[in-house]
Amino acid sequence: MDILANLAGGFAGALDPYNFVFLVSGLMLGVVAGALPGISFVNAMAIALPFTYLLPPVTAMSFLGGIYVGGVFGGSISSILINIPGTPASLPSCWDGYPMTRKGLSSRALSIAITASAFGGLASALLLTFGAPPFASFALKFDQPEFFAATILGLVSVIAIAKDAPLMSALSMFLGLLIGTVGVDPMYGMPRLTLGVPDLESGINFTVVMIGLFAIGEVVDLICKRAGGGRSITTKPGKQVGLSDLWRVKSSILRGTGLGCTIGVIPGAGATVGAVIAYSVEKQACGKGDRFGTGMEEGLAAPEAAKNATTGTAMIPLLTLGIPGSAATAIMLAAMLIHGLNPGPLLFTSNTTLVYTIFASMLIANLLMIVAAMGVARVFSTLMRVPPAILGAFIIVLSVVGAYGVRNNLFDVYVCLAFGIVGYFMKRTNFPPAPLVVGVILGPLCERYFLTSLANYEGNMAVFFTRPISGTILALSAIFLAWSMWPAVKPLLRRPPNDPTHGDPAAKEPPRRVLKA
Amino acid sequence: MLRNALTLTAAVAALLTPVLSSDPARADDYPSRPIEVIATFGAGGGADLMARQFARLAEPHLRVAMPVVNVSGASGNAGLTRVLTNPADGYTVGTLIALSVSSWASGLGTAKPDDFVYVAMMQNSPSMLYVSKNSPFKTYEEFAAHAKANPGKLRVATSGYGTQDDITLKYLGSQGVPVTNVPFARPSERYASPIGGHTDAIYEEPGDVAQFLKSGDLRPIVVFDKQRHPSFPDVPASAELGLDIGDLPNFRTLAVPAGTPPERVQKLHEAAAKVLASPEWKTFCADTFTCVDTLVTPDQAKEEVKAFYETVKGYLDRFATKTVGQTPG
Repeated sequence: MDILANLAGGFAGALDPYNFVFLVSGLMLGVVAGALPGISFVNAMAIALPFTYLLPPVTAMSFLGGIYVGGVFGGSISSILINIPGTPASLPSCWDGYPMTRKGLSSRALSIAITASAFGGLASALLLTFGAPPFASFALKFDQPEFFAATILGLVSVIAIAKDAPLMSALSMFLGLLIGTVGVDPMYGMPRLTLGVPDLESGINFTVVMIGLFAIGEVVDLICKRAGGGRSITTKPGKQVGLSDLWRVKSSILRGTGLGCTIGVIPGAGATVGAVIAYSVEKQACGKGDRFGTGMEEGLAAPEAAKNATTGTAMIPLLTLGIPGSAATAIMLAAMLIHGLNPGPLLFTSNTTLVYTIFASMLIANLLMIVAAMGVARVFSTLMRVPPAILGAFIIVLSVVGAYGVRNNLFDVYVCLAFGIVGYFMKRTNFPPAPLVVGVILGPLCERYFLTSLANYEGNMAVFFTRPISGTILALSAIFLAWSMWPAVKPLLRRPPNDPTHGDPAAKEPPRRVLKA
Repeated sequence: MLRNALTLTAAVAALLTPVLSSDPARADDYPSRPIEVIATFGAGGGADLMARQFARLAEPHLRVAMPVVNVSGASGNAGLTRVLTNPADGYTVGTLIALSVSSWASGLGTAKPDDFVYVAMMQNSPSMLYVSKNSPFKTYEEFAAHAKANPGKLRVATSGYGTQDDITLKYLGSQGVPVTNVPFARPSERYASPIGGHTDAIYEEPGDVAQFLKSGDLRPIVVFDKQRHPSFPDVPASAELGLDIGDLPNFRTLAVPAGTPPERVQKLHEAAAKVLASPEWKTFCADTFTCVDTLVTPDQAKEEVKAFYETVKGYLDRFATKTVGQTPG
């Protein structure tokens, strides 16, 4: 058992006091950065990057790995407690996590989220340790048509999970796709919808849109409604979960973990897509889909597990092939290159100790995350008692700083504030903002994969359906779409057209959800 | 609402303060405060690594901190706009690379070669064509013969249309070697595609695929230059094969806005010269196959950039009819 001996060496390296201190501080830093609306773990890793040049390579990688693991979870703390996703990947955690907080079950929601995340992360790290080489060759089988199909599934999922009318969600998503086309097009370098503004040539960043719509929009709404005093949300600590409670959502966690591990290995997809798809699959699979959005534990556990399950497998293409699949792994690649480490097959033979120390660090980080995240979550829970005006001001400052920090560009701050205003009106008119954000994230990816596929396969559209993996994913997307549109289409088919007695279907069957916050 | 508006204003103002209040330092004690180094591409890319190595090695010579800031987007033009809009006082230095210059030639951005002063030519490297280790093609001749017999069937992964990559492939097409350009905007996907067998070859500079060259996953078959690359003595140069396309190097410079006081440019240039001569930099540039043999003065660098701009413009005009309106595939 060569691998176990190597892993033992890795654990010895990871538990070396010096490395361990950096791993733990990275983890704490990641959880806090993730939890702060506007500051994502990618920001935190980018800020920490120059600092890691001074550290030995193993310590540097433990530190960044800690921020990554902690940060991917951290975003959920603010999703659950204040309905503002701390990072894009935590968007789905708002949908059932925040309703639980509204019911006074915030502690319960947090502990389910933390254990599901830790389980997903741990499973993924184990897969990284024992299955890296075969998984890497699996990843290489994926070409542009498969990536395209995966983004289509992500886009369709967002309609399928709509709590509001699916047509409204679709409309919101198409708006997002439109916003995603702004900027210089990826193939020909032609500026599109830039209105002659040079800053728009770089496109509109999805994190900036998300911060605007959710953080600023939410805060403006909160303050307008309850300016002055009072507590933002009166929450009881709620019952802590025991093992028996977790056992009830075990299949949700397992499904989420499986999806997350698979999606994580695909370059470009990552935690956000994993979480969104896991939520929509769970909504179909668990049998309680009709009550999703009201604070179902299954609806929280699945995307949480999926999101962290992408962390370990996302490292597989990075370490085995030298191909970073996401912004976070790209920063890790930069750190490795600066230290003169060339990720790739040779790394496993030339730097075995380093590789296994990274594996061991990822395993330890996911276990420690339970403790670290509980601690940070407790501190953040006290924020709930801060009057909304003060909390709101704090969030707006963080959002502005975060929007600036995405690309160090002041223009992004204006974009963020503009989307804040849009977000406020969307909230007031019950127009769902989440599909818009997913549209902005996936639209440009989807376009690139589509065009590159066509360039690579002689402009043959059939390639998307004839390649087995891509065909399967697209078929799944079609089923999802039909399933989600059915409730909206059904009444139209049953009723004879132009029947004045029945009127507007929306008025008859109000699927409207209560205005949140 | 009013209170909220005030909060917003305060937040924005707090953020703006450090940006707007750039205090004009006296020329004689330059540099007296940190010099911002703007990497015009994202973390982990070639321009970013150059900026970070330069900042790290130049700090002891200039005796001020040199924080690196990534401002990516629009082929580097987002960061270059930032360089140009900051005061021309030598406290903002940006990376300016061949890709951005060729984007100007193709009509992107508003900058021109004369808008900058080039502190130093830091890195330079020709591009090469690689095939995967399992490829049936051992040499460029075999590759070209197959392309001739099967026009457009061979697919080459590139960074986009209208780039140096595209120009080179169009040139090959004009020489009877028609191949299909498959653009990948993300470098990681571009590298994965030939290794995964989804494309037949890839056009790239050697430093960016160094790990795949070391592991043997990619094999160079031709270097687009007038002579062979000293690190790849067995790979034929395009000139030997009768291809006249050795004039599109991937250079990386450090630039400041035109109008920066010459004595400050000189101080930066001297620091860059010391960095280029240091053993650390020599290792770095050898690892990335980007060493610049002789020190280039700011004036020479400007001439090289202008010549490159004109070359790219010339090629784009020559292949213009084929670029406009072409659909992928």
